Amino acid sequence: MRRTHHLHDERLFDCYVAARAGDAIDPPSAEHLADCDDCAARYTELVQFMDAVRAEGESESDAIFTPDRLRAQQQQIARRIEHVARPARVLSFPGQFVRRTISASTSRTAPRWVAAAAAAGLFIGIAVGASFEWETRVREAQQTLARGPQVRRPAMFAAGSTRAASASDAADDAFLNELELALERPRTRELVAFDEFTPHVREVRDQQ
Amino acid sequence: MNGDLRTVGDSDRAVGQHESGQQHAGPGGGSARARRFPTAAPAEDSKLAVEIRTLVERGEMDEARERFGELVAMHQRRASRIAFQYLRDAAEADEAVQDAFVKVFTHIGSYREAWPFEVWFTRILINGCLDRRKSRARRDKWVVAGDASLADEARASAAASRDADPERKLLARERREKMAAAIDRLDGRQRTVFMLCHFGDCTPKEVSAMTGLNESTVRVHLFRAARKLRGLLGGKP
Repeated sequence: MRRTHHLHDERLFDCYVAARAGDAIDPPSAEHLADCDDCAARYTELVQFMDAVRAEGESESDAIFTPDRLRAQQQQIARRIEHVARPARVLSFPGQFVRRTISASTSRTAPRWVAAAAAAGLFIGIAVGASFEWETRVREAQQTLARGPQVRRPAMFAAGSTRAASASDAADDAFLNELELALERPRTRELVAFDEFTPHVREVRDQQ
Repeated sequence: MNGDLRTVGDSDRAVGQHESGQQHAGPGGGSARARRFPTAAPAEDSKLAVEIRTLVERGEMDEARERFGELVAMHQRRASRIAFQYLRDAAEADEAVQDAFVKVFTHIGSYREAWPFEVWFTRILINGCLDRRKSRARRDKWVVAGDASLADEARASAAASRDADPERKLLARERREKMAAAIDRLDGRQRTVFMLCHFGDCTPKEVSAMTGLNESTVRVHLFRAARKLRGLLGGKP
């Protein structure tokens, strides 16, 4: 038997939803589906599409969430809820000291006392260190003042030793030159060989 | 727990804020699935949740944790499926499921037997997933996305068809990518409704209770989602 009006898509979808939920399909729609081949074909196509989408999604997530992974997840949840409704454990520092003070029921004052002692110790340490350094400087300054004229005299009046001084200056220059050369030279081992072949500005200048 | 059942973000409407102002759907219909609703006898998971609540109230935490493990085992697979379809990232879905269960245990005191546990739990899960999606969208504005989902896809296709031929593997992967992209293009509410009905095995009545939308609105969203998907996928998934 042919019908002039086919079922609207929305009605077809309602039929699908009802069938999936285990409900009875609306009787007029069910009757129409039984009679009309076109609508029955559309309905079958819809059901196939929806089922395929669901099957695809389910198989994808089931492949990722394997039984092993789900077990691990369950363990992780168990670990996380392990601490729910348990009071947090406070770690005392320094352990021994605080434990002793807690037993003596002075837990609140102990940390302050410790902090005060530590601050005082730090202050005393800094003060002693500073005073010692100050004393050393003062002593050195006094010694320098006391030795001052004797030290300066040879520099000012040692005219006889000019040659020795110029020799030491030349040695210093040579030493500094070597240092400069060493700094200019490449530090990479592979480049040292190339550097040997390359003329340096300094050498060219010296030759000129 | 009501504090957790709020916003949906994007174009999504708040999950848990009912259009009608009611807290949950009306009496269960004639369906087998609808029997989980208030007027009917509570389901096994709901009974278990009540037991756990009682144990927690008595301070028998170890026993409560043990029973909670059973509850986790009951809903874990379904929850992972929903979370994965929502987030498209296995690690993130894993975290979302864990968070939801931990939240359930922490707030078990506010669970009321009048609510089917599945509905209550799914609302918590969906809210968590939506929050994650929102924060991910915010993050993606600034950070270049990683390849986590691609890795998951690869793992999924490898695991699903380990013995299949490469061509089939590739086709399956393409199909999944296409389907995921199509689902992602759904409007926020449509996506939520479609996910819950399709991957969460919920009836429109249950989705109505979870989302706070009217049942007829749920049906309309579901129909529109299916129509849009068929259009995007060319009638084939």
